[in-house]
Amino acid sequence: MDSYSTKHVKSRTLFQETWRRLVKNKGAMIGMGFLIFLILAALLSPFIFNYETDVIGQNMSDRLMGPCATHWFGTDEYGRDLFARVIYGARYSLAIGVGSVTIGLVVGTVLGSLAGFYGGPVDSLIMRAIDIFYSIPNILTAVVIVSLLGTSTVNLMIALAFSCASSFSRIVRASVMTIRDQEYVESSYAMGLPTWKIIAKHILPNCLSPIIVQITLLIGSTIISASSLSFLGIGVPAPAPEWGALLSAGRGHIRDASYMCVIPGLAIMFTVLALNLLGDGLRDALDPKMKK
Amino acid sequence: MANNTILEVQNLTKFFNTPGGQLHAVDGVSFTIERGKTLGIVGESGCGKSTTGRTILKLIEPTSGKVIFDGQDITGYTRKQMRPLRQEMQMVFQDPFSSLDPRQTVMQLISEPIIEHKLLKNKKDIEKRTLELMETVGLAERYINVYPHELDGGRRQRIGIARALAVQPKLIVCDEPVSALDVSIQAQILNLLKQLQQDMGLTYIFITHDLSVVKYFSDDIAVMYLGQMVEKAPSDLLFQNPVHPYTKALLSAIPLPVVGKEKPKRQLIRGEITSPVNLPDECRFRKRCECAQECCKNGNPHLREIEPSHFVACSCV
Amino acid sequence: MAEQELVLKIKDLVVHYETDDADVHAVNGIDISIGKKRTLGLVGETGAGKTTTALSILNLVPNPPGVIKQGEIYLDGMNVLEMSSEELQKMRGNEVAMIFQDPMTALNPVMTVGDQIAESIELHQHISKKDAFEKAKEMLKMVGIAETRATDYPHQFSGGMKQRVVIAIALTCNPKLLIADEPTTALDVTIQAQVLELMKELISQKEMSMLLITHDLGVVAEVCEDVAVMYAGRIVEKGTADDVFNHMRHPYTEGLFESLPNLKERGEMLVPIQGLMPDPSELPPGCAFSPRCPYATEACSQQIPKLESVEGSETHFVACRAYEDPKFTLGRNRNGQ
Repeated sequence: MDSYSTKHVKSRTLFQETWRRLVKNKGAMIGMGFLIFLILAALLSPFIFNYETDVIGQNMSDRLMGPCATHWFGTDEYGRDLFARVIYGARYSLAIGVGSVTIGLVVGTVLGSLAGFYGGPVDSLIMRAIDIFYSIPNILTAVVIVSLLGTSTVNLMIALAFSCASSFSRIVRASVMTIRDQEYVESSYAMGLPTWKIIAKHILPNCLSPIIVQITLLIGSTIISASSLSFLGIGVPAPAPEWGALLSAGRGHIRDASYMCVIPGLAIMFTVLALNLLGDGLRDALDPKMKK
Repeated sequence: MANNTILEVQNLTKFFNTPGGQLHAVDGVSFTIERGKTLGIVGESGCGKSTTGRTILKLIEPTSGKVIFDGQDITGYTRKQMRPLRQEMQMVFQDPFSSLDPRQTVMQLISEPIIEHKLLKNKKDIEKRTLELMETVGLAERYINVYPHELDGGRRQRIGIARALAVQPKLIVCDEPVSALDVSIQAQILNLLKQLQQDMGLTYIFITHDLSVVKYFSDDIAVMYLGQMVEKAPSDLLFQNPVHPYTKALLSAIPLPVVGKEKPKRQLIRGEITSPVNLPDECRFRKRCECAQECCKNGNPHLREIEPSHFVACSCV
Repeated sequence: MAEQELVLKIKDLVVHYETDDADVHAVNGIDISIGKKRTLGLVGETGAGKTTTALSILNLVPNPPGVIKQGEIYLDGMNVLEMSSEELQKMRGNEVAMIFQDPMTALNPVMTVGDQIAESIELHQHISKKDAFEKAKEMLKMVGIAETRATDYPHQFSGGMKQRVVIAIALTCNPKLLIADEPTTALDVTIQAQVLELMKELISQKEMSMLLITHDLGVVAEVCEDVAVMYAGRIVEKGTADDVFNHMRHPYTEGLFESLPNLKERGEMLVPIQGLMPDPSELPPGCAFSPRCPYATEACSQQIPKLESVEGSETHFVACRAYEDPKFTLGRNRNGQ
């Protein structure tokens, strides 16, 4: 019967389809380019700079030099090269961003899929608990947790993971609830699949699109939160060159050496912008219906 | 005789609790099907035909009543107890666009039940069986690694049928399997289902709103209205001699593709289906019925045998 | 039929959808005309280009990706494709109205039904709000809904009732042409029968013309005087209902009838059309139906057949090369069915 059809069978996976659409989005490509550069910089920075001497080593004779040929981004009040510190700082910002979002993703997905799939009392219990968390400002939650656990990079990640977890659980719950009622889920029941397999194999993979978008966007906002906490002095402990800490250090010299604030500020801004551009691009690429 | 019965449904009931009161989705439905036969369940949207099909497969828990499959009373079975039985009874869904997981290829979709029920273990055997099933339902081998969104409705429905056949079931509940398809494709799928029944001795419950499709397909036809069966008879008998006013109206409402020739006069029924919530104790069709009488207000009529194997629920006949 | 009596005349319309992936040839040169007080049924399967044709008449083809490549569409003598957007706006509703398939999405859920009908009356007839609402009640009565329900919201109505409301809105300004795109497909059979009956009655009462788009040959037989069968963006056969139903000439039309289960006896196999409708972005050369056609010859796949009038008939046209052989008849006609 099929021999009548002359149609050539071309099969593209959903991943290829998405990639093809994503490549057409200029903003997303610029964002992705910047992020790749940043990730490479973060990965390679230990080979380019010596942490002990270049990044945290003090050199009082070179203090507060403006941007020049030897120090592209200038130096801070201890004579440390800001270029080295900003590039090295990308390690912290990215690690915290990715780390807390990963923790949040795991916790949020489990809670969200349980709430969305079972509904009823399970849903009420989980979602009300999350509502309560949501109503407390993120920074405040983070401050409390860091104060309790002590300041360290890992504790900062955990603190920030809380807010990520609540936003993931909401998104996962909403998608699971729509997909739960699709006929292919019912079809898997009719097929005799156990519940956990249905969730893992048929429901979660189909929630991937909103999750991927949320991951990129959340990494951006987590980087900002982490910087804010460092700015407040409860983030990554000194002398590590986290961007928020750099910003905080520059605060005192904002009149005479404004580059100390501007440069780490721009680093944060461009990173978050790049992530948001990529996130928006992914959203359009994953759901072509959104755009016309 | 009893041995030949594959499915017996006794007084099956499913109520849903809604804010407005109790919704009588299925209300006391009973029937039996013999091996290798087809029962067509016909009715309009909201008559409970799909709920009936899903309750039989225990995809929805019945409120009361009994479902006896192959001599086993499966009414109280848990999901886990049902699992081995899924090999015996399967379902083909209405919407070929939402009933297949968009992230699986044709190979994954068709082989899933084989792997799940551990029918075959060897990877090569599984692939061989998948290809065999594809051939059975008329899907070319070259589609094996294609995703459902790349295929048209008819081919997607063939995948759905292949999935149901993969476990070699005895009974298949077909829930409006062709209503989402174009006429020319509909005919292809109907022929395929019929061919499969002849080859494999399958038993079908064929749920549809389209009387012309059931006539072509079924041995027996049951007409449902507001959760209840109003008429049940062998196919030919029902079409020759419809007795219930609703069946008559349903039959005459089908627009016939005939021009200029003698056509039976249309009997329109007035009004629309009433709400299935908090039903009064009277004939459910009374308000729309042309020949409603005083007696129709007194209680809900039960199915009565008016001639051999022809059952009608109407106080006026 | 004299030109000036035509309410709608479409000449050589070509519409493509130009997407990044492909150039979809939705409508490939169709000619249709509808006379005063006539109803034309446009029949075809999913993807045949029926809805695109209808949208073109209102110049509503979504652009991008849709592009009307060529053709002329005359509504009551005026070319729709050359109208300014103001003229178009005036024409929609006044001269021509459209009913869509899904009554569930055609109504605004936060406005009462009466207000929605009144809004359309106000817009086109420039009368006061109060008068418009009174008139809206009349319209409701006309489509068989109690006046008291004018203050109800769409969600309080069933599917059939909503479609009646949609019909009322479409008819508020007494359009000369009503375009109905699968108006009863979403409805149950008994409700469909009611709505069709209502439409038939209103059309003759208001002396309108209608273009009815459907895939259901039964509905066409019920309502239409003229029929055009569409396949892959082309009209393959057109004529009066009697021409097409009782003296069909095109193999595709035959295939459609053979696929229908309701005329057959139980137990027999149906005779479906083999294969599938071609992908409209990769249409085969020649007759688009030839890959599925049981009568196709080598010649069919080389040249696109023209819609030519059937010998001895002024109304009946068919686009099939098989009739170059004067002895050719369809299998269905041969058996004397």
